[in-house]
Amino acid sequence: MRRLLLLLFFLTISETYANDIDEAAISAPVIELHDALLVNMQTAESVNFSDRYMKIEEVINRRFDTPLIAKVILGRNWKSLDQQSQERFIDLFNQLTITTYVSRFDSFNDQSFNITSIEPMKKNRFLVKSKIERKDDEAVSLDYIVHENGTAWKIISVIANGVNDLSLKRAEYAAVIKDSQFSGLLTNIETKIAELKAQ
Amino acid sequence: MSFINLPTYLKLTVVSVVFLLFTGCATTQIEGEVNNDDPIESTNRVFFNVNETLDKHLIRPAAEAYVSVTPTPVRTGITNFFSNLGYLNVILNDFLQGKFNQGITDSLRFLYNSTFGIAGFFDVSTGIGMPANDEDFGQTLAVWGVDKGSYLYLPLLGPNTVRDTTNVAPSILLNPLFYASSIILFPLNAVNAINTRANLLEASNIRDEAALDPYSFTREAFLQQREFLIYDGNPPVSGYDDIFDQDDDEEGVLVIE
Repeated sequence: MRRLLLLLFFLTISETYANDIDEAAISAPVIELHDALLVNMQTAESVNFSDRYMKIEEVINRRFDTPLIAKVILGRNWKSLDQQSQERFIDLFNQLTITTYVSRFDSFNDQSFNITSIEPMKKNRFLVKSKIERKDDEAVSLDYIVHENGTAWKIISVIANGVNDLSLKRAEYAAVIKDSQFSGLLTNIETKIAELKAQ
Repeated sequence: MSFINLPTYLKLTVVSVVFLLFTGCATTQIEGEVNNDDPIESTNRVFFNVNETLDKHLIRPAAEAYVSVTPTPVRTGITNFFSNLGYLNVILNDFLQGKFNQGITDSLRFLYNSTFGIAGFFDVSTGIGMPANDEDFGQTLAVWGVDKGSYLYLPLLGPNTVRDTTNVAPSILLNPLFYASSIILFPLNAVNAINTRANLLEASNIRDEAALDPYSFTREAFLQQREFLIYDGNPPVSGYDDIFDQDDDEEGVLVIE
């Protein structure tokens, strides 16, 4: 009995220690993104779009695994593309992500981001749960799936109030490709980026 | 109130639901290039386009005009009033899902808001630890293990599933407005519709801003948000793994020009 208790004690201690180490690294991409978004919101009036774009771009490039996101979004269509088309899509999709963040998080009204929990998923993926607290409105759940790519933890999906951006775009892009082929999808994304920048 | 006395849109809805229920059931087995959740996509897209046209030219401008002339506190009061009237359906479904504590709290919420909140215009319950919950018969069936069935886009009502259409009857029958005379029912329904649309203006603007294909965007957002509600904001984490681990069996064939 004493042995069992001792074993349980050590297991608990080692697990807690491991969780402490992991949690800081796992939540780092989310914290960095939230910090950058807060700055973007607070400086929306005083700093121009292209300067704010550069700040967000820096975080997205470092903390989003855009090549994997692009591959998952295109599903089986991905394999049909040559390397040049794949790279073109990754680049365009990256621009769309950055532009969307810069233009959507464009006003500050005492919002705050809080990480609420971290839950393990399959294959060393983790779900980092967070909330945007808003002064005069209900909080919004903003969850992130992160995984380790090389030496850094990176975001591979964003889930807002239960709506997974990855699944949403996968279905949406499949519909566009079905209607107007891959070239039509690229044109649509280019138009969307231009519209967001013009706002 | 008989079926004849129902507002036209409700009759249309009931007829459409019955029609689509059967159509939906008959086509759930179709596989291939169609989205598994949306076997009657072509029909749904027709209704979607009709609704979008109606919305663009009539409902949305009315909602925007309503927002411009109605102060925010008044709109909040109107939203609270209609939400409170529909709350008996929430309470019933609390109990049907076995959430007894929530059912009791929601019953108290309804009583407090109906009395101290002056017929529900003021939400006096959230501040004292009784926030609103979102339950309906579609969620109850999900909790009982009933599959969602096909995705349906209904005229006027918008996104739905076969399972969720079962909420139409209880939500009408449990709403005290259903038993009111037509003289007040019609204007109140109109105010409710415009106010509801006004509350969705921000969401629809975000959709229009973000979506490349608004139909698919609406369908996916709706289906995922329903899952989120069924699990009361905590859907199982395992569901998020599928998209990374599934084989490439997605719909749509790529043609490179």
